[in-house]
Amino acid sequence: MNTMRRIGMAIAACTLFVQTHGALAGDYPSRPITIVVPYGAGGTTDISARQMAAMAEKVAGQPFVVENQPGSSGTNAMRAVAAAKPDGYTLIATTSSPSFVTPALRPVGYDTTTDFIPIMNYSGPYHGVLVNADAPYQTLDELITAAKSGTAVTYGTAGAMGGAHLAFTSVANQTGAALRHVPFDGASAATVAVLGKHVDVALVPAYRDLVQDGKLRLLAVLDGTRDPDFPDVPTLKDAGYMAEFPSIVGILAPAGTDGAIVAKLEKIFTDVASSDEFKAFMTKLGQPVRVISGEALKATIAENLAAYRDLAKQMGRSK
Amino acid sequence: MLWNAFLSLLDIWVLVAAVTGIVTGIIIGAIPGLGPTMAIALLIPATFSMQPIPAMILLLGVYQGAIFGGSISAVLLNVPGTPSSAATAIDGNALARRGEGGRALRIALYASVFGNVFSCLVLMLLAEPLARFALDFGPAEMTVLMLFALQVIVLFGGGSRLDALIMVLVGICAGVVGLDPIDGSPRFTFGSFAFESGFQLIPVLVGLFAMSEVFIQVFSRRSETGDPEIPDLKPARVSLLDLWRMRAILVMSSVIGTFVGILPGIGSTVPAFMSYNLARSRSKEPETFGAGAAEGVAAPEAANNAVTGGALVPTLALGIPGDAVTAVILGAFMLQGLAPGPFLFKNHGVEVYAIFEALLLSSLPTVVFGLLLFRVAVHVIRIRPQHLFPAIAILAALGAFSVNNSLFDVWVMLGAGLLGFFFRRSGFPISPLLIGLILGHPFEQSMRQALLMSGGSLGVFVDSPIALGLLGLTGVSLATSVLFSLREKRRDSE
Repeated sequence: MNTMRRIGMAIAACTLFVQTHGALAGDYPSRPITIVVPYGAGGTTDISARQMAAMAEKVAGQPFVVENQPGSSGTNAMRAVAAAKPDGYTLIATTSSPSFVTPALRPVGYDTTTDFIPIMNYSGPYHGVLVNADAPYQTLDELITAAKSGTAVTYGTAGAMGGAHLAFTSVANQTGAALRHVPFDGASAATVAVLGKHVDVALVPAYRDLVQDGKLRLLAVLDGTRDPDFPDVPTLKDAGYMAEFPSIVGILAPAGTDGAIVAKLEKIFTDVASSDEFKAFMTKLGQPVRVISGEALKATIAENLAAYRDLAKQMGRSK
Repeated sequence: MLWNAFLSLLDIWVLVAAVTGIVTGIIIGAIPGLGPTMAIALLIPATFSMQPIPAMILLLGVYQGAIFGGSISAVLLNVPGTPSSAATAIDGNALARRGEGGRALRIALYASVFGNVFSCLVLMLLAEPLARFALDFGPAEMTVLMLFALQVIVLFGGGSRLDALIMVLVGICAGVVGLDPIDGSPRFTFGSFAFESGFQLIPVLVGLFAMSEVFIQVFSRRSETGDPEIPDLKPARVSLLDLWRMRAILVMSSVIGTFVGILPGIGSTVPAFMSYNLARSRSKEPETFGAGAAEGVAAPEAANNAVTGGALVPTLALGIPGDAVTAVILGAFMLQGLAPGPFLFKNHGVEVYAIFEALLLSSLPTVVFGLLLFRVAVHVIRIRPQHLFPAIAILAALGAFSVNNSLFDVWVMLGAGLLGFFFRRSGFPISPLLIGLILGHPFEQSMRQALLMSGGSLGVFVDSPIALGLLGLTGVSLATSVLFSLREKRRDSE
């Protein structure tokens, strides 16, 4: 009996050893890594994540498998990954909305600042303040001045309580301008509405060709930095309004993931995202490459989550 | 340009891509729950290394094939493979039960090809002006248009109008569940995260039509009396003359499909039902509808296939997709370096026209492979129910799960299946319920958007000539329908 027990303990010890061994950063990655995409297959987030995965596989020597978990504006997938084992084998390629916009508005079942470790940011489409080319407004100031002097200016966004909506609410609060929000089902529908002059302004991404073709006019971008395609167009802050909607597309790991694994992943993904091949791919897709370190991404998420919570409180929607 | 475009099609890979795309599409479309969106999204990585023209022909072939493929299972099994073929099931399956499945499939095939060619020609010739015209449809115009569509569904569906109205309202109520479209607050979610996305179309469709059919088979008495009778397969010829007789319906349905396709957010199910109902209301023998009218198969099939060309109009001319499928196709175009938008026709004219020409020419392989597939497919109706329906139940669960990879959708599918079973058993039509669910959410959203823009004034709905015209159309069709039924009643009492 005693021998049996010893053998049993030896086996248990071996199993434990094998398990800790498996989780050691030195051997990582020793099996395929899953990258969850919180949206359906075929969208820009999905296509860019698949390209990242294919290129990371060559660097890391293990397959990166992209898994789509759409639903509830991305919060379903975030909740699932927050609850996943923090072993570095389940990651999420996520965007602004489920990271710091939706969590500020309603209970989502996770806290981005405590349940995730940001690894790095690699993209994020610029959102513009766009008016129809026939509209009288040449600058953002003219638009705001008009809205202050009584004419109600309507603006369309991709959806209720999205980042663009909250950023413009903040502008309205600061200036007292009469900006009336009209939420649409996705950015495309909002773009159609400004092209057809049903709304005065649209706050949407993917505007480059329509602006260059002279159908729309870009007055400002909502991001913290200027769009390299339109270097003369100011950000909201450049134009004198204290509001921004930074657009992120980054990779997060569940909290508790080993620091060495996070560092390794950051290096792999940063190398991939900085490569010319990836840049060429993203240019075709019409998406910018914006490489930001995990630390900086963490700060961006935390700052914006706090800012959006404040804003939501002001609007009476705090949860 | 058109000749150059044609020359660039003389490549064996173009033919391979077209045939592969169409056959894949037809098969994917025929499986309940799997649709073109998923098939195209999964194929995109495979097209990375392909040349632009074959790559796009492959993906667009899947798109067209899948819309048609849905009608195969709709006709033979009364289980629409895609939402847009739900209307085809009504008369298509009635024909199949009489042993004329082959004929129904051929009518569906030829009507589909007609709708494709029609909308593709429109896309080629009129993409830019039509895209500009579509921009005039703002929230107010869309509200009135959807009101008109709902009215057509209720008034001209055949059967009791009150029943249809009740079912439409049930559908609209089901569409309320989820996030409020304007302020984003959860409605009727009972604190559950899964309810936030609302009831998705595919699980509800699969439940209402496929699973309820399974339940009906399970609870039907027929199994006690021995083997069900298997209808003899009748000859399945469809002559050109038959099609010529349906020319008005084919053109009208294609116009409806193309037009609705150009507008964002309505999809292909609603125009299919609208065409069906309008074809019925124009018919000299409306009583044959529902009992196996050839026009009842042709109208929805021409309409739902015409949507494909229409939906590509704003996608390619403006770079703005109207629904999930075209959004995925837009991404594929971009990856091939053919960024849709105002510069597409200027910068890549040859490629784009080559793709259009290929879409037109792919009618030939569609007919050839469609007819070949039918030879096998018609025998499905001879499979015994005890073998067939378990398979359908499995496919239904799989299809519902695959939409969002979530088990919640499977429960929604089963719930919708039970509901559909009870409704069908008690004689209610379930198609209006589906239309209510599809249109309820965008109808509410458009109406509230219009009211937000006007600051709450109802005048916005009569402000533009388009909205006014559509309101007039709604009024006239309501009035004629009331007059007709009054006259009928008087005739009955005499």
